[in-house]
Amino acid sequence: MDRVTPRKFATTPGTRDVLPPESTRLVEVQARIRERFRLFGFGEVLTPALEYSEVIEEPRLRDASFKLFDPDNQMVMLRPEMTTPIARLVSQRLRNSPPPHKLSYVLPVYRRADVGRGRSAELYQAGVEVVGSRSAQEDAATIALLVDVLGSLGLRAPENFAVVLGQTAFYEAYLRHVAPETAPEVLRALAAKDLVAVDNLAAGSSREAALGVRGIPRLVGPASDGAVLEEAARFAERVGASEALAALENLREILRHLEAHEALGAVILDLGLIGRHNYYTGAVYEAYAAGLGFTIANGGRYDNLLERFGQDLPATGFAIYLERLLSVLPEEGPSDLVVLVGGGVEGAENAGILRASGVPVLHLCEELSPAEALRYARSVEAGWVLYSGAEGSVELAPVREGAEPEALPVGEVAGRVMGEARGVVR
Amino acid sequence: MRAQDGILRVAVPKGAIFEDALRSLSAAGLPVGVLRENDRRLLYPAEGVEFVICRPTDVPVYVEYGAADIGIVGKDVLEEGQPNVVELMDLGTGWCQMILAAPSERAEGVREAIRHAEVVRVATKYPRTARAYFEGMGRQAEIIALHGSIELAPLVGLADCIVDLTATGTTLRENDLTVLDEISTSTARLIANRGSYRLRNAEVAALAGRMQRDEARIG
Repeated sequence: MDRVTPRKFATTPGTRDVLPPESTRLVEVQARIRERFRLFGFGEVLTPALEYSEVIEEPRLRDASFKLFDPDNQMVMLRPEMTTPIARLVSQRLRNSPPPHKLSYVLPVYRRADVGRGRSAELYQAGVEVVGSRSAQEDAATIALLVDVLGSLGLRAPENFAVVLGQTAFYEAYLRHVAPETAPEVLRALAAKDLVAVDNLAAGSSREAALGVRGIPRLVGPASDGAVLEEAARFAERVGASEALAALENLREILRHLEAHEALGAVILDLGLIGRHNYYTGAVYEAYAAGLGFTIANGGRYDNLLERFGQDLPATGFAIYLERLLSVLPEEGPSDLVVLVGGGVEGAENAGILRASGVPVLHLCEELSPAEALRYARSVEAGWVLYSGAEGSVELAPVREGAEPEALPVGEVAGRVMGEARGVVR
Repeated sequence: MRAQDGILRVAVPKGAIFEDALRSLSAAGLPVGVLRENDRRLLYPAEGVEFVICRPTDVPVYVEYGAADIGIVGKDVLEEGQPNVVELMDLGTGWCQMILAAPSERAEGVREAIRHAEVVRVATKYPRTARAYFEGMGRQAEIIALHGSIELAPLVGLADCIVDLTATGTTLRENDLTVLDEISTSTARLIANRGSYRLRNAEVAALAGRMQRDEARIG
């Protein structure tokens, strides 16, 4: 008799087991991302999943985190993100090393927020942080790295994805100049992406100022055409907001370097993008993929975060949400995994020959019928079934529907299998 | 999944603000004629655009997840659900008020109870809005979430008062309920998915620009 699984045997809300082929793909994507990070000179760090609750200050992140008490009755949190833990790590461990510190990570983070809305509580992330440089070139270089990573996984800009870039300091400086009293409220409304509230709050300002308060957050367009920056500059010049103009110059410099990195075509400017976290101080960005309503990555400059940890270092970086990224990656070719059925001693020899040429082989000792072997191969997401024959000849059968088995020398199997596998991460 | 490339998907709420939403969309030049055919379809492909018809409370869900690029929905729904979407424009239509009301003969008693920070029982379709309202005043409330006919709750003793939406006040009068406080006003909003707003900005912004604002009714 079937029994209902007791609730405590399920995974906790928002978490899940990840099985092949999804887990295989996740691990492969992580490997590819690590390779790109390393190619750009980043060193990978691991930090504990648990942090003292004081480490995370951002209210949204504190609210979103899982909290527990350690044996000394101190409140600890499961890290809700990696940026702050890395800021802590740099301040504590790298005091005596010369900046900039270029660090990367590939780790899960934990958030209880939105669990009720079907979102994950455990999110796999990969990201980088550059700590100790104020240069706009670093902002451009990290954005270029993000574009490179997404490109190396088979996504093309602008058809498949775009990085939306804003400058927190520009609108903030403009507001401080024209409407210092309402500025905090306007920024709160904009952080919540409520442009109607921004419009309404602008009504209190002079006509000239109101135009900018309403108009700037709606400036969106490709970075490759200068229209957005020109209009933004006009708003700032009309009221003489010199600090805002300086922030705009920073954005121009970032764009110049993005062009040198050949990443400009992937960038959309949005001067209404100010980032969801308070710690962002300059350039902020979010990556979107066509067909997905959520960000696949976000990042930006946070020059004041490390001050809290006693090291006044400027910094910039991004995090990629791997599950979301996975959901938009192009389909892979057939799997290169070969299920080798039985064959006794010859079977073992053939497995060795194939593995030596880089073909992954799952060797079964049981002699299965073709139908059973096919069913098994499908269950492990293999691309091929192989039977050992006499004198070094084998029979290779693709798992895909309607394909005919073929007899060939074992030496040719590797070429056949690797030739058809066109995974994005190979 | 999302509409085909190039097709903008629009979430349209059925119910009270359906007609107003159609007027706004039609003003923006969208072919809303198909929506008046009144069959029971939920998905209406049209020239260059696709309409999804859903419950008002579901509109922000479709838009947040990117299943629809843009949508029209009342501010009351946005405040209750707090979805992560871009709120682009106040369309000015569908004006209504979120109110606190109690049966007329007990209204004074409820008012006193709230003033003395006693715990009152509140029935509502908008638990988050109701909780925020009472917390904002530093008052205590036991929120009972219901799905419809909120006016019934205080009449049968399920709750002391209600937090609900009213446009004309007719239902309140018919059930002999007195308004104790006006919590907020709401009008229809044009919302957009965060990604669609950026990736298809020219299209979305042009559409918003063509929608007529019913200025007279913006409260």
